Amino acid sequence: MVYGMSKNNQKNNFLNTVTEMPKAIWDSVFRNNLPHTDLGRSKTSFTNFFLHMHPVKVHKHTLKPWFTMGLGLMSLFLFMILSVTGVLLMFYYVPSTTQAYDRMLDLRGSVAFGVFLRNMHRWSAHGMVAAVFLHMCRVFFTGSYKKPREFNWVLGVGLFLLTLFSSFTGYLLPWDQLAFWAITVGTAIAGYAPVVGEQMRFLLLGDTAVGQEALLRFYVLHVAVLPLVMTGMVAIHFWRIRKDGGLSRPDDADIVITPMPAVAANVMPATIEQPQLNFLSKARYGIQGLVRGPFTKVGNVPDNTVFSYPNLLLAELFVFVLTVAGVVLVSAYFNAPLEEPVNVLHPPNPAKAPWYFLGLQEQVSYSAFWGGVGIPAIEVIILMLVPYIDRGKKGVGKWFAKERLLANTLFLIFVVVNILLIIIGTFFRGQNWEFVSPF
Amino acid sequence: MKMRLSLAIASLAILVVHGFVFYQQFFHKWENYQQSYFDQAKTLAKNDAEKETFAGRSPKIEQIMVTQFGSERVDRCTTCHIASDDPRFLNSPHPYKTHPYSEALGDKQVDGRWERRHKFSDMGCTVCHDGQGRGLTEFYAHGEDEFWNDPLMGYVTQENWRADFKDKLKGKEFMEANCAQCHTEKNFKATPMVNKGRELFQSKNCYGCHRIEGISNGTLGPDLSDVGKKWKIDYLHESIVDPRANSATSFMPKFNLTNEEVKALTIFLKSRRGFNYAETTLDRYRATLKKPSSNSAMVQPTEGNQPTTLNTDTSANYGGQLFTERACAACHKLGELDGGIAPDLSFEGLMKDEQWLVAHFKNPRSLVPDSNMPSFGFPDTEFKALSAYLLTQNKVPPTGNGQEIYQNLCLRCHGEKGDGHGMIATYLDPYPRDFTNAGFMSSKTDERLTASIKNGVPGTSMPSWAKVLNEQQIKDVLTYINQNFTKETRTDIKQRDVPEQNPVAMSPESVTRGESIYLQRCTGCHGRKADGKGPNSLDILPRPRNLLNAEFVTRTNDRRLFESILYGVQGTAMPPWIDYGLSKDDVGDLVNYIRNLNKNKQNLVAANAYVSSH
Repeated sequence: MVYGMSKNNQKNNFLNTVTEMPKAIWDSVFRNNLPHTDLGRSKTSFTNFFLHMHPVKVHKHTLKPWFTMGLGLMSLFLFMILSVTGVLLMFYYVPSTTQAYDRMLDLRGSVAFGVFLRNMHRWSAHGMVAAVFLHMCRVFFTGSYKKPREFNWVLGVGLFLLTLFSSFTGYLLPWDQLAFWAITVGTAIAGYAPVVGEQMRFLLLGDTAVGQEALLRFYVLHVAVLPLVMTGMVAIHFWRIRKDGGLSRPDDADIVITPMPAVAANVMPATIEQPQLNFLSKARYGIQGLVRGPFTKVGNVPDNTVFSYPNLLLAELFVFVLTVAGVVLVSAYFNAPLEEPVNVLHPPNPAKAPWYFLGLQEQVSYSAFWGGVGIPAIEVIILMLVPYIDRGKKGVGKWFAKERLLANTLFLIFVVVNILLIIIGTFFRGQNWEFVSPF
Repeated sequence: MKMRLSLAIASLAILVVHGFVFYQQFFHKWENYQQSYFDQAKTLAKNDAEKETFAGRSPKIEQIMVTQFGSERVDRCTTCHIASDDPRFLNSPHPYKTHPYSEALGDKQVDGRWERRHKFSDMGCTVCHDGQGRGLTEFYAHGEDEFWNDPLMGYVTQENWRADFKDKLKGKEFMEANCAQCHTEKNFKATPMVNKGRELFQSKNCYGCHRIEGISNGTLGPDLSDVGKKWKIDYLHESIVDPRANSATSFMPKFNLTNEEVKALTIFLKSRRGFNYAETTLDRYRATLKKPSSNSAMVQPTEGNQPTTLNTDTSANYGGQLFTERACAACHKLGELDGGIAPDLSFEGLMKDEQWLVAHFKNPRSLVPDSNMPSFGFPDTEFKALSAYLLTQNKVPPTGNGQEIYQNLCLRCHGEKGDGHGMIATYLDPYPRDFTNAGFMSSKTDERLTASIKNGVPGTSMPSWAKVLNEQQIKDVLTYINQNFTKETRTDIKQRDVPEQNPVAMSPESVTRGESIYLQRCTGCHGRKADGKGPNSLDILPRPRNLLNAEFVTRTNDRRLFESILYGVQGTAMPPWIDYGLSKDDVGDLVNYIRNLNKNKQNLVAANAYVSSH
């Protein structure tokens, strides 16, 4: 009897194991069901690896589409598209001067989706340079680099430079005339730096001219070094956003959204609790003393936050789909250029750097040192020091705040001048870098 | 709601593009071609067994890997041209058409079946036809893409080629340029156009200026040894018919060539790719071992310009023969022959002596520093013979009035309108004088103008006419020029107060002072190197004087130099520097500086002192 029962039980157990296996696997992978309650929503964010980098709740101001225009996310998504298409392209590419160009022809001729992959990679790269730059403009014009976000701005400027460098190193890889001469011009600009210029150029090229060594170095930088460094820096960039209290918003954001004067009077300002240097002697500050903002928000501040799941997630999905759609559409209609195979003896006239360096090249045409090294170096240093120079606390989280008229005007001039230089370099320069009209 | 709408649109766009891309990836034109070929072949099949062979075939990329011609080639042409070796499709349309069999290509009929001399499996396609072997669409494979250097030779012209000669670049004969990659024999029967081009390269004196490894050693123009590898045929054609189209400063003449001749030259040049395709690196290495003296490893026979046996004949007769053989009249005029590019040699015997002629042959630029005549590397005996022949050209032409003399003798350079734009003027440096420039003409004394005709202008192409024209005739010509071109009554010319001799003694200090003045005041037009090619020089007519022209500078006296600098040269861009604060001593320093520049060349000038002999 017992024996029989146990057999029956065993049989049931086995059946149960089998029938419940899918659910067991599903539950082990996804810790929560699709949430229907607020608790579920917060648990979903907490327990999912991909979601845990989001806060559980996000301020409504952050979700305003015209505040960020999704530019930072767009940069991230373009970076992801670039990683995926880049890895796929790596399966076909050989960084050798004798093979690289033929591989390009094969990609165009006989590799399935080869053209499309290359187009996506090319246009995403250009798009990323633009998106990262626009993102920087957005952060500046909304005054979002102010305390406590100073260092994140510095990281961002670093990421912008890395983006340019990644794009630049990738430019050489097709090994056609366009690539060869753009890199020749670009690295020549690096050579104008005083004292270390020639050494830097040599380090970059591994030779006195662009050749096999340069191709290999650019390849390794492009597919391994730079993406790794960028991934790390992007992670820090994101982590700091959360630790700095999410995206910037104006001081009066809560009042504007829900004007509740009675409660607003009790608002504890979202400023920094000064870390107690001698906290050991004042034991009432626990480790939480280092965390910014009030200890507990419930009841102290008007709650203008919403759950990240699904609000923030949907917004992100929106940006993602738009980005992919944009890249895909452009890639379907415009082919990435592939010019003649490299001919070391015949530079095109004019030999132009990639478009984002044409402003530099234009400056170089006036003065090699100042245009190519002096001014850009000063610009980068000033850019990085911006949050430490402009220390006013007003005008954070608002586009073109009146309080920041001077800073915004100066930055706008910087942006417009650089864009104008790029436009002149791209469209108005012909043979021997002489002024020509494109019309 | 708006968000959802844009999300829906974006998603749809992604879907549509993916559909489009997938369609492109999986439905290729070449698959249709192959399927259609299989179907046709099946119906043509004579028996079931043959039919069977096609039943199992499905479309796939066909390719021929060729490793023996230069770099490795991958030719996928047969993916579309799948019937190229199937003799049943001789009359089908492209791309099914069988590649024609031809005895001229060495194909043979054995037992009623053709056998190819050049097997596709060994040779591939692009080695003869060009085009892009890796491409799988017509646009890329046929090289219609403007960035592909070798479009299908003789069949495809690219979009951006010049419309005025695009059509001239089509024709089977262009493919001979590729035959000649392996068949480098000098008179290979199957490449008549290459042979003709090679002959023209000699007979039109291209060899005088251009170097082609194993054929010529000219240094005045670009080296053409691998010009076929560097440029497309449209560029080669353009460079021949319109040399300044690609290089504004080119002084290569526009030769009088027929369309057929231009085509032959283009094909010949396209066939110059620097190395023989049929050679392996080992062959090339062996060739260098055999010919240790030569740095050329080419199999091509060296034609050279030197005759194999030394001829010691220096007679005028032999010179005349050389004049014809070496095609001097490709540029020069002599009697009835006229190349329309270089000066008239019909009276050379009256103008030059043997010493001058031989020195000029050896290095034209030692006497006319900006001449574009090549230094031909002939042996001295040939130069002597040519000189002897030219010295026999000493018959005084029949006389006439001023107009007739001008039209017979002066028009070639100075032009019909006397404006210095004669038929050969563009090839002369400095340009012939513009007689309509009244400012210049009226500021010069009769003596000076007469002397220029009589003695010529040293260092330029203006020869001495003293033995061709007598005093009266010179006067007549001058009167004719004045009345018809200058059209200004000559008035008395003001005597300037300038020293006969440079008052400042030549000394290193004076030269240094002169140099600093020169660098401040003169470089804009005369150039840093004093070669007359300063940044402003191209905007000025007449052009600034080349101050390194030793022939000219050394033979010009101090008085004229002082006058030109202090009071300017009327009718030219040279200003009166006395108005800009230069003193006589400053000019003295400048003159010393300029003379010092030409000091080392003075021996040369002395050796060629021909002016005094006339």
